[in-house]
Parts: sequence; C-alpha cells; structure tokens
Amino acid sequence: MSLMASFVRASFIVPENIGTNPQSMLLLLPLVVAIAVIYKVTKMPKITAVSFIKEVVILSGSIVIFITIIAITLFAFIWLTTE
Amino acid sequence: MAQRSEANNVGFLMVIAILAWAVPGAGHYMLKEKKRSIIIFVTIVIVFLIGLYVGSIGVINPIDSKAWYLAQIMNSPIVAALGHLTSSAPEKYRVFGRPNEIGQYYTSIAGLLNLLCIINAVYLGHLRGSNLEYPTPCKSGG
Repeated sequence: MSLMASFVRASFIVPENIGTNPQSMLLLLPLVVAIAVIYKVTKMPKITAVSFIKEVVILSGSIVIFITIIAITLFAFIWLTTE
Repeated sequence: MAQRSEANNVGFLMVIAILAWAVPGAGHYMLKEKKRSIIIFVTIVIVFLIGLYVGSIGVINPIDSKAWYLAQIMNSPIVAALGHLTSSAPEKYRVFGRPNEIGQYYTSIAGLLNLLCIINAVYLGHLRGSNLEYPTPCKSGG
C-alpha cells in the first residue's frame, strides 16, 4: 500500500483531537450549510446557481442567528438564576 | 391495463428508493434531475466523510449506539459493511468523548438528510407518474 493510501486510511481510523473549547462550536457551521443545501435542493422547483446560493445563504444565516439568540437567552437565564 | 400500469409505477418508485439509498442522489439522477443529484451526492458524501474523519469509523457502532446507527445506515448500505467491520473488532476502533459525539452528529445527520432525499425522489417519481407538476409551496421555494 502506498504512503498516500496509508495516510488516508489512517485518517479515518484514528479520531481527531477535538477539545471542549468554544472554538469547537464552529464545527456547527458546515452542518448548518449542509442542512440548508439539502432542504433547498428538495424544495426549490427550479435550480439556478444564483437563486440557489442566495436561498442557501439566507437559510444558513437564519439558522445561525436563531441558534445564537437561543444561546444568549439560555445564558442570560442561567446567569440571572445563579448569580 | 390500468392495474398493470399502477404496479409498474410502484415498481419504478421502489427502484428509485433503493437507488437513492444505495448512492445518494441516484434517485434524482434517474428522474433526470442532474443538478439536484450532483448537489445531493456532493453534500451528503462530504458531511459523512467529515464525520468519519473527525470521529473515525468507530462512530459507526451497531452494538452500543443502535439509535445513531439507524440514522447512519440511511446514508448507504456501505455503512452496514463499516458497522460489521467495527463490531468485529470493537477494541480496535473504539472512540470516546468529543470526537465520537461530533462524528456521530455528522454521520447521522448525513443519513437523515439522505432519507429526506429518498422521500423527495420517490415523491417526484410519483408526481411524474401521475403527470402532476412540482409543488411550489411559496414563491421563494421554501
């Protein structure tokens, strides 16, 4: 097996080292974009590059904004009830 | 004659569902929706591979994570082969903590998104068979 193939194989056998830090929340973003892409690809009657990208960006942005609002609300609630 | 046509249509829808499960996007490709099929294939494969890269193939665990496995297997039958591999040597492929969590999220959501695409492909096939148009819920399409 070539070195490249061994490297690719090892990448999928050994897990990555991901800490429980705030930066790890950024892994949410690709998932949000994927959900928006699949939702729009099944919903749009006609797909053109510009309209599709526009719809995906709007939906992804909406999801991220609402998640942020919910996170801030929960943080505020916990802060008010524990301080 | 009409009964035979209906049976053919059900058979066609079954073929679309099985193809869409075997290869993400293949159901739409059968319906000549090439743009949709390419977008579906690329998106689902990338999300699934990110999950495997982050958490390793150990995130596919049919013994200890049955609920996650149910969602993961909607990606493709290949997941069953990976599940067989990881369950044959659980100590070798075991993964814990955050990588396991993130990997399971990605692979399971990829599977559920593919399930949505399978249902959509079957629905589109049904509309084509009934000579109905693509539904437009609102002007922007969503």
